[in-house]
Amino acid sequence: MAKIGVDVGGTFTDLILESEKISGSSGGVLVHKVPSTPEDQSIGVIQGIVEICDMAGVALGDIEQIVHGTTIATNAVIEYDGAEVGMLTTRGFRDILLLARGKRPHNFSMQFDVPWQSKPLVKRRNRIPISERILPPDGRVEVALDEGEVREAAELLGKRNVDAVIICFIYSFLNNAHEQRAKQIVKEILPDTYVSCSSEVADVIREYERFSTAAMNAFVGPRTSFYLGNLQKALRDKGVGAEIRVMQSNGGVTTIEGGSERPVTILMSGPAGGVTGGKWAGDLSGVENLITVDIGGTSADISVVPRGEVRIMNPRDTNIGGYPILAPMIDLATIGAGGGSIAYVDEGGAFRVGPRSAGANPGPACYGKGGTEPTVTDAQVVLGRLDAEQFLGGGVAIDPALSAKAIEDNLCGKLNMGVEQAALGIIRVINSNMALEIRANSVAKGIDPRDYSLVAFGGAGPLHGVALAETVAAREALVPPAPGINAATGLLATDMQYEFTRSALISISEADQSELDALNGQLDELVAQAGEALAADGVAPEERKFTRIAECRYQGQGFELRAEFPEGVVGGDNKQVLIDNFHESHRRDYGHAFDDQNIEIITLRVIAAAAADKLIWPKLPAGQGDNPADAVMYARPTTFDSGETLETPRYDRAKLLAGQTVTGPAIVIQHDSTTLIPPGHVAEVSEYGNLRVRATA
Amino acid sequence: MSTIEVDPITLQVIGGALHTIAKEMGHVLYRMSYSSIIRESEDLGAGLFDANCNTLCESDSTPMHIGSIPAYLRGIEETLHDPWQPGDVVIHNHPYYGASHSPDIAAVAPVFYEGELVGFSANTAHHVDIGAATPGLIIDAPDVFAEGMLFKGVKLYEGGVRNRALWHFISANTRVPDQVLGDIEAQVASVELGVKRFIELLDLYGKDVVFAATEQLMDYSEAMLRKQIALIPDGEYRAEGFLDDDGRNRGITLPVKVCVRIAGDSAEVDLTGSSPQVPTAFNVPFEGSTKVACYFAFRAMLLDSAVISEHVPQNEGSFRPIKVTAPLGSIFNPKYPAAAEARFNQIQRVVDCIIKALAPVIPDKVTAGCSADVSAIAYSGVRPEGNYWVFIEVNEGAYGGRPESDGPDGIEELMRNTRNNPIEDLGMHLPLICDRYELRDDVMPGAGEYRGGIGAIKVQRYLTDGFLTHESDRHEDVPWGFRGGTAGAGARLQKFNIASPDKVENLPAKIHGLRNETGDCIGVLAACGGGYGDPLARSPEQVREDVLDDYCTVAHAKESYGVVLDSELEIDGAATAARRDEMRAAAE
Repeated sequence: MAKIGVDVGGTFTDLILESEKISGSSGGVLVHKVPSTPEDQSIGVIQGIVEICDMAGVALGDIEQIVHGTTIATNAVIEYDGAEVGMLTTRGFRDILLLARGKRPHNFSMQFDVPWQSKPLVKRRNRIPISERILPPDGRVEVALDEGEVREAAELLGKRNVDAVIICFIYSFLNNAHEQRAKQIVKEILPDTYVSCSSEVADVIREYERFSTAAMNAFVGPRTSFYLGNLQKALRDKGVGAEIRVMQSNGGVTTIEGGSERPVTILMSGPAGGVTGGKWAGDLSGVENLITVDIGGTSADISVVPRGEVRIMNPRDTNIGGYPILAPMIDLATIGAGGGSIAYVDEGGAFRVGPRSAGANPGPACYGKGGTEPTVTDAQVVLGRLDAEQFLGGGVAIDPALSAKAIEDNLCGKLNMGVEQAALGIIRVINSNMALEIRANSVAKGIDPRDYSLVAFGGAGPLHGVALAETVAAREALVPPAPGINAATGLLATDMQYEFTRSALISISEADQSELDALNGQLDELVAQAGEALAADGVAPEERKFTRIAECRYQGQGFELRAEFPEGVVGGDNKQVLIDNFHESHRRDYGHAFDDQNIEIITLRVIAAAAADKLIWPKLPAGQGDNPADAVMYARPTTFDSGETLETPRYDRAKLLAGQTVTGPAIVIQHDSTTLIPPGHVAEVSEYGNLRVRATA
Repeated sequence: MSTIEVDPITLQVIGGALHTIAKEMGHVLYRMSYSSIIRESEDLGAGLFDANCNTLCESDSTPMHIGSIPAYLRGIEETLHDPWQPGDVVIHNHPYYGASHSPDIAAVAPVFYEGELVGFSANTAHHVDIGAATPGLIIDAPDVFAEGMLFKGVKLYEGGVRNRALWHFISANTRVPDQVLGDIEAQVASVELGVKRFIELLDLYGKDVVFAATEQLMDYSEAMLRKQIALIPDGEYRAEGFLDDDGRNRGITLPVKVCVRIAGDSAEVDLTGSSPQVPTAFNVPFEGSTKVACYFAFRAMLLDSAVISEHVPQNEGSFRPIKVTAPLGSIFNPKYPAAAEARFNQIQRVVDCIIKALAPVIPDKVTAGCSADVSAIAYSGVRPEGNYWVFIEVNEGAYGGRPESDGPDGIEELMRNTRNNPIEDLGMHLPLICDRYELRDDVMPGAGEYRGGIGAIKVQRYLTDGFLTHESDRHEDVPWGFRGGTAGAGARLQKFNIASPDKVENLPAKIHGLRNETGDCIGVLAACGGGYGDPLARSPEQVREDVLDDYCTVAHAKESYGVVLDSELEIDGAATAARRDEMRAAAE
């Protein structure tokens, strides 16, 4: 039996296969890369699966599980290529999606674009007002639903052949009866159209964010479910009977059906795999506090994982392409810094690196595909850190002379520097940009990097890892065994996970028994709902794990933070545990807590998880000694960040054994990644093949 | 002055670090605060400054606040009662000592390094009520003292010790003490963080290098702006408009006159000829508001962040090329003790007139007339339990048409960029309920090859008796069209009771302390932007799309665009051609 993780990226589709039997050995893992097929991702996915099974000698029918990281939903947003959506909304509030939060995306600009106006998820003509009115604070009905208007609207949208209909009424989080009734009527008239209510997709307060989430779900829904359905069918046609799982933005997996019904939950599928992969690598070495840094061609994703717990972003910050999305996502920050980031001197004479990128095409100057501007990769080449013949296992031809020329032509004159000095400058600026982002996501949030290991992966990660760890004062840099396909490994290292929310405005400090009873009732319902989702996936009751969370704020504040409920019925003594958890959460994020203030709950959230078997990486045979001679490939001059150029040996990562150490200056080479170990640092090869790089002395 | 030359790479690294610090300070302030105007609207600014009050970095929050803090710092330098010492936090809001206006209270902490005062960590935030004569906002005030509490360089913390008496005093002099005190706490946390980060930065790179770098960063921002100004032909460019009234003397309009003088890579904005100062609070503090508006206009047009991909650091450098002149005793430079709380509409019109003046020479960098106003509205009342509620809402405007795109609809324009409040959140917490929030359908925006943006209508209903103060303008002087585009539509303010929704009363833009009864509804209708370019250059297909989306009526399509649609809303090609010929002929 075998499991496969398959992660689709912009350029490559990465695969990993785990099996107790792989041809030529007793079992273990195999990794593979195939070119991505942007016109239809499933072509590359299927080709990759067929190839990796072939390499492993595993029959397609013997695959037990496939976990998929996909950019299909995200691409629909980025390309603005989604469904035609119709919307029924409360009369008087037709333009909630257009007015958004009223804040323009640029302070100092006249010619700015407003994506939610120029690229609406629902065209204005398809936003149809309906007479109905629910009032706060108790959800009473002031104006009854006009069912005749609902019918007319449904018929009109039917004539316009919309792909999906959403029903978004003001205050539906207090009382969803109008939304539900309208849905029923629309379903009668348009039985084959996907119809959903805002209170189903995100049952929370704040009209714009709720409507936007419902609209996004409908916008990406048809394309996503078509893709997933199609992929499943194509795999079945090839005789693959495996269960298929899709990575969600929150780091858990869902089923094909789950991803199709709630595609807003898989918008960050790809980057989430990277973070879970980073956490998995930490687990291999028993390290709990991690900063994961995934550096690709154009961008770097940064996430902080304290005590082995992947953090979820504050729902106020979760947006995709400028549209707010109330779906749980791993807390990660993306900046425009990668191997392809372009270095240049701007009009005012400032030296810049990124966010503009040479991308895959033309790519860095050294690719010889027409790129003339110097990139971060060109700087690494000039400094002797990327050997031409080793680039992607020798699969890509690069020309170091072109790198030097690009730096010489574009930078040296303007900066009054030599090529090497300018190349060092490129590295220093890009590392500084990444380090600032790491600090903004750690130090600024009350996390002390000195207790953390920085996990560096992605094709370019291990070249920067040690420098970044040092700049942010992390304990060490940790390079996973297969850093180039780490996001794919993350797919085989995740749990099943579902989240359900409900709006519940309660002052927890002042709640009386009847309010607490109601709260407990709501929590029980959410737990039951979440339990059903796991049951549908065949998870036995004893394997289900529930986390109950209150999203709270001090009364009068506008932003919530998460606090976990203690076990058992909420009331009496254990209420204080929740209150203390919230104070602690506030203290961690802002450095202050107001211990005498009332706390109000805004949203209840239940996370249901079931542990899945995690990818088991084969242990390396034990070895010993420093700088093992039989792993040395050759030595070459290499320039380090300090400016020193040293004759630096290259080690073949495949030949390094557990327990061995490599003392810098050194470079460790593997198929798709290169680890830089500067002088004064030593890398220790761990039992499972992680490289842990620390300063000596 | 430092003589160190910091290399371009270190410069970039330090510039990035400063930017991150300002961002973090702003983040702490708005996330921790209580009042909706700070936490939801983000009506705040935060940053680091050197000992000469030059901006080193500032959060990218609300343009009005960006660039206003140096004047506060200079005002504090003049008025501080005891010398700075480590651990101090000073609050300040005096409009005749640099404050932008009195509700924008600054919190300032000195930064000491190796025993020497090297700079400041500071922020400003709009407070919901400082105990003025009317709740929240004030317009018809006799003098600056009627605006509420005035703080002139007052130490809230002295050497790290909290001045408890002052906190107690503040709590007794605002209608909403919980919000105001909570917001000040957030401001203190933010400046303390700034001090800490500033010192870390000095430790890391050394004082001399950091300050040399900040000087170079200022030079850089200055050079970037000068380069753009130099591209504008030298000369005098004029534009004018007028304001509805001063909030007391109805029917007497107030001129706004702008002359922009371009000479080489410098610019002067001369406001001579604008209205004399007025007897109400409808005056503009010169240092903290008038000048800031002029700086904004140039930066937004010439260093447009949607066009220029590089981040130009926000610091003093971008102010240096611009000189601002306004005669003392004019509406843009009032004499003590004139009240000056309600200043936003006027400065929006300054920006608007600068754009209009320069439009003929930089047509690709401007917009047609924007709503260029603000609708700041203070709803208030007393709850049945006896405590006061005050809520300040800022209603968005709209942009004029642009050289390559329509003016954005219903959005914060020019000097303001605050967030609106979630309707549902307010309804759960205030005796006020929103009955309508969508684009206006009673008027059309300016027509043009690129149309003006459409303003929104928002209707709020009182669920208790209460008060209303509305600070706005633009009912009379309508946003201008450009290059053949037509004018937009003026703003409106309406009142009716839910029991008789057809009996609508039209109110002037400035309303001061109006009493309302339960069930009274206030409708705010924002101005619509002017059109850019000849409406006949807009394709009939695009006009039809607009009609399908109800951005344009069938009648307006025919009247202004010469596009004739049949009953199925299909284009009548022949009738359209005929109508367009007729319009072209009439225009000649």
